[in-house]
Amino acid sequence: MRKILLGTTAVVSAVVGAAVMAPQASAQEAPTVRLGGFFRAYYGYVNQTSQQSQSTTGQLNNGSSSGLPTNVGSGTQNVPPDGVNNARIGKNDISTDAGIDVIVNGKLANGLTYGAQISLNSSGIEGRQVLGGRSSAGKTTVQVDEMYAFIAHPRFGQVRFGDEDGVMGGLMNSGWVQGFGTGGVHGSWESFVTRQAGGRTTTAPGGLGDNSKIIYMTPQWAGFDFGVSYAPNANIGEDVGCPNNANSGYCDRAYAFTGARNFGIYAAGPEQAARRNEWQVAARWRGNVGGVGIAGTVGYIGAGAARDMTTMGQQARVFNNMNIWQAGVQASYAGFTVGANYTYGDYNFFWGNTLRGDRPAEQLVVGGQYVVGPVTVGANFVTGLFEGGTRGTLTENSTGTAFIPGTNAFPANVNTSTNAATMRRWGLGAGANYRLAPGMDLIAEYVYYSVREQGRDLDPNRQGIQSRAFSNVFLTGVRLAF
Amino acid sequence: MTQIARPILPLCLGLALLAGCSGGRQVGNEEYGTDNRRELALRQTGAATDSGLVVFGVDRSRQAREAAAGAGAGMTVNAFLWRATLDTLSFMPLASADPFGGVIITDWYSPPQAEGERFKATAYVIGRQLRSDGVRVQVFRQVQRGNQWVDAPASTATNSEMEDRVLARARELRSQSAGR
Repeated sequence: MRKILLGTTAVVSAVVGAAVMAPQASAQEAPTVRLGGFFRAYYGYVNQTSQQSQSTTGQLNNGSSSGLPTNVGSGTQNVPPDGVNNARIGKNDISTDAGIDVIVNGKLANGLTYGAQISLNSSGIEGRQVLGGRSSAGKTTVQVDEMYAFIAHPRFGQVRFGDEDGVMGGLMNSGWVQGFGTGGVHGSWESFVTRQAGGRTTTAPGGLGDNSKIIYMTPQWAGFDFGVSYAPNANIGEDVGCPNNANSGYCDRAYAFTGARNFGIYAAGPEQAARRNEWQVAARWRGNVGGVGIAGTVGYIGAGAARDMTTMGQQARVFNNMNIWQAGVQASYAGFTVGANYTYGDYNFFWGNTLRGDRPAEQLVVGGQYVVGPVTVGANFVTGLFEGGTRGTLTENSTGTAFIPGTNAFPANVNTSTNAATMRRWGLGAGANYRLAPGMDLIAEYVYYSVREQGRDLDPNRQGIQSRAFSNVFLTGVRLAF
Repeated sequence: MTQIARPILPLCLGLALLAGCSGGRQVGNEEYGTDNRRELALRQTGAATDSGLVVFGVDRSRQAREAAAGAGAGMTVNAFLWRATLDTLSFMPLASADPFGGVIITDWYSPPQAEGERFKATAYVIGRQLRSDGVRVQVFRQVQRGNQWVDAPASTATNSEMEDRVLARARELRSQSAGR
């Protein structure tokens, strides 16, 4: 083994060394620090299911006459407890968002470019979070979105190190046409609907997250370039995440913890998910075929998952590994761009680990857009089959040494919403932009999104079983990037 | 090491080797996708991703933009006068133009309607301000005697007429770019 390693090292240093030594004729540039950002404000008209503000999961429908939904802390409710005179949520809203970016760029005399990006967004927290009796974090709290450093060499390609999307998490994907409106079915309509029966969280590449990772992307040869990225876990930022000395699910490096089965997807709020050892690999080709610009990408995303712990301290494997394959292609000609992308593998509709026994997911995205002068119009469509029913009801066996998985059988009491079944999610978005000035757009967009799962109650706050949830969002507004 | 990682490590090594072996084309940052909202918006509206405010260092993109617009920070003379002089003298073949010194020298030119007579002009753009005395044009004239070109005096009005043309053109250029 050692011999092989040494041999390999010799080859690498022979090849790499020669290239490193070869000087690149290039002017050195002192680093620049640039301050940029964006702001956007949209008005939205929303018509969605799951509009009742009264919750069966709170204390309102169970006969109790006190208490607000569980995340609001103590308080006196002013909604009748009988589940009949429900309040609905309104149809109008204005959604604003802003971010500040600090971008550093520099270049060395040998052609090496380097830099860093720190992106602060005011949309880091989805909803107001109650932290204690008299304190809370508002939903305009600024959080770091991306932060990473990069070093790029003309011959060796680029390394990015930090909190950034992976190579299949947006860097090298093809076939996602969303350069119109706010992104169509993958755009800002999600800012207006309640999760998740409203159909929120479509699996677009960026949804995989900016978990701390290292990324390597090659130069381009004959149209091909390749990339690979690795993240040890799903978390971001400094420190280990553990709030105290105990090893818990909050710890970035915890590979087994009690209750891991609840974190196949990111928990709302804190950066906490069971995904571990995430690898992404991408191969991309770009070229010009008879005047038509073509780009195609195939890629793979793989990850393990933290194990759950039984009360007897037994480690139990409750998740499938993530195994996701994706292929996409897009073509551009004379202002037109069309693209399609297909994803298949073990993941759920939040790009999370599926529980053992869950079905694999598949998703098809097609889109097209046309740019003429200052106007861009486009539409995109997504359809996918995912594991629907939750197995959060995993129970321990009698000895407390293993978990008994949920059942795929159609449950006798469908009202319990615990059956595991196929969920179909599809959506259609169409939008247009008018470029008022470079960086400034006027936008109008319409998105319809639908979720269906036979026999599962997707709107538990309404009477009966609602096997279907949908959202209609029309939004219009302004976006400025600088 | 997880099973997933096993095929990927050799792949990384292979990619690094491939990168070292042959000269590929460097892939620019703008050729990668992004989930950064600012950059997404900038790309979508066709704005340069190097927009924003430079708080430290030299704003090279601005330099490049200004150079492309003919108002380069590297120029030591007024860009409008410079462009106007070039425009005005463009009917003659150019022998040399030095934007740093502000000197434009044309080659000898014989107008089709006046054969047997040729002209050459030297223009000096002076200083960075757009002023009426910021340009001086000297026109030289030769006439053909037999097979030889002989110096002949040009009318003094020609010089000032040329200067007036340059100034008028500079004013035009200035007003065109005033909106920017």
